[in-house]
Amino acid sequence: MVNETYIPSTLEEALKLRAEVHAMPLAGGSDLMVQYRRGTGVVPEFPFPVMIMSSLNELKGIKKEEDGSVLIGALTTSAEIASCEDVPFFVRKAASLMGAISLRNSATIGGNLGNASPKGDLPQPLILLDATVVLQSINSTREILVDEFIKGSKKTALADDEIITAIRIPNVKYTYGYYRKIGTRKANAISKLSLSALIYVEDGIIKDFRVSSGAAGPKVARNKANEAKLIGKKLEDIPALKEDILNTHDQTISPRAMATWRRNSTRRMLDYFLSEVAKGGDEGIIQ
Amino acid sequence: MSMIEFKLNGKPVAFDGNPLKRLLDVIRDDFGITGTKEGCGEGECGACSVLKDGKLVTSCIIPVGAVGGCEIITIEGLRDTPQGKCLVESFAEGGAVQCGFCIPGMVMAAEALLMNNPHPTEADIRLAISGNICRCTGYDLIVESILLASKKGEGLW
Repeated sequence: MVNETYIPSTLEEALKLRAEVHAMPLAGGSDLMVQYRRGTGVVPEFPFPVMIMSSLNELKGIKKEEDGSVLIGALTTSAEIASCEDVPFFVRKAASLMGAISLRNSATIGGNLGNASPKGDLPQPLILLDATVVLQSINSTREILVDEFIKGSKKTALADDEIITAIRIPNVKYTYGYYRKIGTRKANAISKLSLSALIYVEDGIIKDFRVSSGAAGPKVARNKANEAKLIGKKLEDIPALKEDILNTHDQTISPRAMATWRRNSTRRMLDYFLSEVAKGGDEGIIQ
Repeated sequence: MSMIEFKLNGKPVAFDGNPLKRLLDVIRDDFGITGTKEGCGEGECGACSVLKDGKLVTSCIIPVGAVGGCEIITIEGLRDTPQGKCLVESFAEGGAVQCGFCIPGMVMAAEALLMNNPHPTEADIRLAISGNICRCTGYDLIVESILLASKKGEGLW
């Protein structure tokens, strides 16, 4: 059976198609077109009806809200995200290291979340920042945490009548930030491992500490109980608490392939961040 | 399914077929323009690079249904422009070409760079072609040729 392909020209039309025939949204194509390709000159064949989303301009663009949060349309490309100063550092950095220039001109944030690959670049910093995803259907709109939306490797909470329309990133304060992606090639490398971390200090007291790991398990790993160990403490307390935090983060991740390497490298990255912050140096991004 | 209309190298064209067909295959098979090459088929080697509304994209991962109303430029569309001529001459003069398979994609990546940055540094150039794989040259002569184009083509971009 050959599945039908649709090219909706409005969101309303797309929502109708999603509800009636459960057409799968195809955004930039950088995941789906590769997954279902059949070789030179042969049309890719999908096991479900597809709708090509590229005409839906209402799902493109980045908007800064009054409360300081940033709303990114689902069809916004990684290139647009990487070059927009309103987008927080962690997400911009991850977007700027996705694929190469040509891929970043195609790949979208909605597609990266919808595909929910454990190696996807954007979920990791989005989950660090408690970003939410806006899911729309004909009759309703709901907004849930990206961390709740992604349920596991390639599994999401998207209902079969829903479309990802936007991603909202809250304004998260940080004194020190860190983002690291490890790949095999500078351009077009699939993440082998990634880690983001931030610490916010106010009047000498740590008010916020977060760390998230990508490509180190079926989904992005964050452990709020572990993060809470630093809240209320001072920077000079970090060395005494560090070993326990590193051990607990190691238990939070669940790598399968190359587990020893992934565990060792994750520990080293977080150790480096915490050690640099403990020195109490200049505020900003730890390189 | 209605026709998919877009501009290919400046000319309005219409495609009447499966909208999931890869833009690469449509360019090569349906319109018979074969300068655009297929390397990896998964958007990682850059051989199939074209400009879509002025932005560098790999045509092997784009369904033709996604380019309705867009302006697509391939190496053939660039070739006869002053910028294209300058790039081709500079690639020849700089000895950038060995087997040549990656070169259409390299030239498109160079054009995408120079459109936004007419005076790139070597580092800018290496970044701009980082999505384009060449298995012959070791890249140095390609980088030098793009530098040469930016000098020879002063004022073109």
